[in-house]
Amino acid sequence: MTGYAVVLASEEFERVQAVSMIASVAASSDIPVEVFVTMNGLNAFEKETIESGDFEGGRVAKAMMEAENESPLFTEQLEKAKAIGPLQVYACEMAMDVLGNEIEDYADVFDDTLGVSGFLNRAQDKQIIFV
Amino acid sequence: MSETDIQADVTVDAIGSACPGPLMDLIGKIKDVDDGTVVELLTGDEGSKNDVPEWVEEANHELLDIVDEGEHWAIYVKKT
Repeated sequence: MTGYAVVLASEEFERVQAVSMIASVAASSDIPVEVFVTMNGLNAFEKETIESGDFEGGRVAKAMMEAENESPLFTEQLEKAKAIGPLQVYACEMAMDVLGNEIEDYADVFDDTLGVSGFLNRAQDKQIIFV
Repeated sequence: MSETDIQADVTVDAIGSACPGPLMDLIGKIKDVDDGTVVELLTGDEGSKNDVPEWVEEANHELLDIVDEGEHWAIYVKKT
């Protein structure tokens, strides 16, 4: 096992949370994880979206936000895990370009921006999970 | 209240935190302490009592006990 490379292409709250949870527990257990946030996945990480809490989501998203026991928001979760284990989070250059966004428009969880080749290089020895 | 004789060296209070908060807090603490240390994890998240043992086994630590304290659970793990 040489780790996971996760492609997060959805802004759906449940999927984003699930990626942050799985990536965080894996990295905290010393399993290397690379997360490549692309396409609509990036929307969830926009500072504006996070400040407003206006996430796309369904029943579970609603229940999670109202739950008595709180799950940390994906941004806090990823930040925490990065301090403990081998976790890197990258933002897709192409999706940022078409939206006219800069890395500063997003939550401070990204190690860098990345293109497809960069992602594939980092994913070579890993199991790919597409979300 | 507690029905265990186990004496914990350190306590991690993750009450009020849902999956995977308690597990993450436990992992962080286990990394910090010396071998042989008994860590007590307090959690109100029901899923923790199944998921924490899975992690403990895979990480080769020792699960000492899981105690139902009514409003929460106390999970005792020894770092090995």
